[in-house]
Amino acid sequence: MMDELDLLKKDWQKKEEHLPKISYADIYKMIRKKSSSIVKWIFYISILEFAFWTAINIAFTDAESWQLIKSWHIYEFTIGLMVVNYIILLYFIYRFFVNYRKISFSDSSKDLMKAILKVKRTVTQYVWFNLIMFFLSAISGVYGTLRYGPDSDKIVSAASEAGNETIFWAIIIGISIIAVVLLLGVIWLFYKLLYGLLLKRLRKNYQELKHLQV
Amino acid sequence: MTKDQEHQFVSELENNQNIVHKVCSLYTNDRDSHKDLFQEITIQLWRAYPKFRGESKFSTWMYRVALNTAITLYRKSKKSIKTQDYESVIFKIKADEYDETQEQQLKLMYTAVKELGDIDKALVFLYLEDKNYTEIAETLGISEVNARVKMNRVKNKLRTILNP
Repeated sequence: MMDELDLLKKDWQKKEEHLPKISYADIYKMIRKKSSSIVKWIFYISILEFAFWTAINIAFTDAESWQLIKSWHIYEFTIGLMVVNYIILLYFIYRFFVNYRKISFSDSSKDLMKAILKVKRTVTQYVWFNLIMFFLSAISGVYGTLRYGPDSDKIVSAASEAGNETIFWAIIIGISIIAVVLLLGVIWLFYKLLYGLLLKRLRKNYQELKHLQV
Repeated sequence: MTKDQEHQFVSELENNQNIVHKVCSLYTNDRDSHKDLFQEITIQLWRAYPKFRGESKFSTWMYRVALNTAITLYRKSKKSIKTQDYESVIFKIKADEYDETQEQQLKLMYTAVKELGDIDKALVFLYLEDKNYTEIAETLGISEVNARVKMNRVKNKLRTILNP
């Protein structure tokens, strides 16, 4: 056995000449590539998220809910919002993809830093866009229920009975706003968790690169 | 991390890259996975570099990080290692350099080594690299006695694989 292992050892050491060689420049590139995998995840997650919300939309909007939306007189508004939403979401996915490509192919740390800043900006815009979209659809929902919902008559008559209509409506609107803000808070938290972690790692990479610049 | 340190790291790695290639060839079976593992080890080395204080030689430290990375990845994806295709090992020996029986024997040995578990493979690798037991123990973070005992076990294991 010893003989065989020694034979193997001899052969092993002979193989050294046949090993591949990676150049200085290529190794240099490799250690700069940390960001690209983070940005790749941002791209993937945005697609998954898109698929998730689309699936939820399809699963929960049946003929009945369209009827409800029509009865609330916000049908055109909802359709318009949806169209705008999907167009802009697709645009964001495209932007995430472009960002990912750019980061994968930038070699100088200066370009990489620029690309990282761009990714951060895109993600921030993306989160704001989503929050605004949620806000608009929530507001239109609240408006629809209050004005045309089955209980709206009761609410209106309750308002006149209460005597002071202005205060009554102020309270109703106040409660609605608090509910919407709470909902937005939850959604904001969701994004903060999802993208915040990735952005934190990008920031770290950015700091490292900045250090190298000096 | 300054720019100087970065250049120092890259050139040290460039000079010692054979170590990484050899680990890759032992733990992967095709060119693509070899490249992937090389990149992964490079990134791990770079991450760990701030903690490398020159207490050991750069190459010794590289052995440790490279093997750790390979072992960790190997545990994650056991399936990619199972193909015992000696021909696809990245660097092949030229057939005419050896007589037939020796060639056959070597082929069997490499296949057997590739079939070993992750830690045993690391042990054989360091042995093939002509490391003594002190160095093997230091690199794998075990005691020298433990390294000897383990190596004997691996030799026995290889023997049973070769002569069933």
